[in-house]
Amino acid sequence: MSSRRSRSRQSPGSSRITEDQIADLVSKLQRLIPEIRNRHSDRVSASKVLQETCNYIRSLHREVDDLSERLTELLASSDTDSDQAAIIRSLLM
Amino acid sequence: MTPPARLNASASSPCRLRTRFVLRFLKTLVKIKRSTPPPPSPSLSLTSSPEKIGRHSQRIKLAAYSSMARAVGQRRAWSRALMLKLKLSDKRKNRYRWLAARKMKQQKTLRRGCGRILATKRNRSEKGSPSRSCSGVDELRRLVPGGEAMDLGVLLEETAHFVRCLETQVRVMSIIADCFP
Repeated sequence: MSSRRSRSRQSPGSSRITEDQIADLVSKLQRLIPEIRNRHSDRVSASKVLQETCNYIRSLHREVDDLSERLTELLASSDTDSDQAAIIRSLLM
Repeated sequence: MTPPARLNASASSPCRLRTRFVLRFLKTLVKIKRSTPPPPSPSLSLTSSPEKIGRHSQRIKLAAYSSMARAVGQRRAWSRALMLKLKLSDKRKNRYRWLAARKMKQQKTLRRGCGRILATKRNRSEKGSPSRSCSGVDELRRLVPGGEAMDLGVLLEETAHFVRCLETQVRVMSIIADCFP
């Protein structure tokens, strides 16, 4: 028997993921995205979930950009030493 | 049986993750604050050039992403990819340009996933939003660091964790911004 070495994309150790597992993961993502979560609808297609996830990630990136700008201005204009303790306390409690 | 068990085990203590992120990010913020000289007079701070503000804001943004990636550590593929990308980008600025260029070629697939994070606002507006007809999965691969090299199942898991970490990051940054008088 000739051993055929077919180059497959998947590594030999990983098992093929089933559709059920993918559906599970998609529904888990669905619960994370506020847009879909708030609609209280169970019937959301996978492509819609992926699309909303992409939109959500992009909006989070935009928020990080805006917050960085805000923090830049705040850092430049204020004295942080006195605020540090208050910030740390409020974040870690 | 279900992936969520494994996911929960690795993210078993979101509070600890948040704490780690907070401590690193605050340390970096203090470092940035100390390294930027204060304006000679208060009125001048208002007239600092937009380029300067953009540069500082980019530093803080990168500090946030880097602190989050380091807080997650090697446990996740996205954090590994992001840390590598940030390290290469940093090294390129300093000395090892040729080495980084070689590595960048090898890590070309990582690049796209992290491109959005490293882009400044200016670059972002120049690039615009190209109208592509790609499937949602392709778009997701571009957004998640290291996504292009992942299988679909792994990509979805990593996305869930990535989204939760981004939310934590945003929440922490807004709390810090609100704490200032």
